[in-house]
Amino acid sequence: MTDFEPRIIGFLCRWCSYPGADLAGTSRIVYPPSLRTILVPCSGRVDPLFVLKAFQDGADGVMVLGCHPGDCHYLEGNYHAQRRYALMHRLLEYVGIEGERLLIEWVSAAEGGRFAEMVREFTAQVSELGPWGGRRVDR
Amino acid sequence: MIDKIQAKAKELLERGQVSCFIGYEEGTRRKVRPAFIYEPQDVDRLIWDERCTYNLAVYLHQFKSPLKRGEEPPRVGILVKPCDSRSLNVLFHEEQIERKRVYIVGLTCEGVKVNGQLQERCQRCSERVPLVYDLLVGEEPNEVGQENYADVARLEGMSPGERLAFWVREFERCIRCYACRQACPACYCFECVAEQLDPLWMGIAIDLPQKQFFHVMRAYHLAGRCSGCNACEEACPTGIPLSLLNRKIAKEVEALFGYRTGQDAETPPPLATFKKEEELPL
Repeated sequence: MTDFEPRIIGFLCRWCSYPGADLAGTSRIVYPPSLRTILVPCSGRVDPLFVLKAFQDGADGVMVLGCHPGDCHYLEGNYHAQRRYALMHRLLEYVGIEGERLLIEWVSAAEGGRFAEMVREFTAQVSELGPWGGRRVDR
Repeated sequence: MIDKIQAKAKELLERGQVSCFIGYEEGTRRKVRPAFIYEPQDVDRLIWDERCTYNLAVYLHQFKSPLKRGEEPPRVGILVKPCDSRSLNVLFHEEQIERKRVYIVGLTCEGVKVNGQLQERCQRCSERVPLVYDLLVGEEPNEVGQENYADVARLEGMSPGERLAFWVREFERCIRCYACRQACPACYCFECVAEQLDPLWMGIAIDLPQKQFFHVMRAYHLAGRCSGCNACEEACPTGIPLSLLNRKIAKEVEALFGYRTGQDAETPPPLATFKKEEELPL
């Protein structure tokens, strides 16, 4: 699939990852337009339901980005997120949604370049898997 | 065994220590059903045999609040098997019911049967004595099973596409009756996400995406809280193998966080806590 552009939902935390994405923008770093960002107060705010809902409504991949461990504005939100998504990842894989479609990573406000790089890599990874939304199973 | 249970239930009810005793009684068509005993003279109805598969902990939710405002909530007596006792620990930890309001009659269990067949979960069960009880009835059997997760491993061995096809086949039969949720002692939200209309998380259509969403959501909400009593799967009218989902999570929770559901009433479930130093691989 060459002309497939995945739809990726990104949950970006308000204190680190969103400013990080902002920095990528103000620094004129180019990254794929496949990412739709959603601003959340903290990566701990991202209920696993959000991720499920995104997949249900046809997202091809979901990124959850937060502050580095220890840097959370609310002290512990990202630790909770880490536990949740370690489990969620395994569960999604088990019910047949490839684990590569879910990414949880830490991006600080100073890492605009790294953010762009991450989106590029994740887009490539999801493109390789092909579309998830609306996929029909032979039965 | 049953004499001891009946005697204890009678004593509790006569002394007014409990207002209701929850146990099992003979139902219709050689089936067992839950019994709610309010009067001491009714204790003869209680039975205990290998058909008593239901997890009675789910009925404790009916005794959480007082009958009249301002009164104390009622005290209850309950029969528990080892697997059910884990559910009780979950409820105690989540402060759903106070420990002192429940008189627990623990049963040593050699496994329960459905249609004369020892259940699979009982064949692998390594526990024969409840984790929490006030009175233990019966003697500890010396033969125990071994947990092996062979069924989960079989599914894990498939490719993602095969797994998806497998689950689509299973979930397709779901009629969204929510029997699995109602039968579960750990599912007690006032308003379930599945029925919430604002925000509409799940959608009201009975279509595959909604069913997939519901089952993954249900399993995930029970992460570290499912005691493996299998009430959901037994309640399912279309025979969806829900234990495969629940047991996968139980397996991962044990591997990642070293936690088993309801091991005591103090340890918080793994998703409600964290360790700063831990590195969790995706």
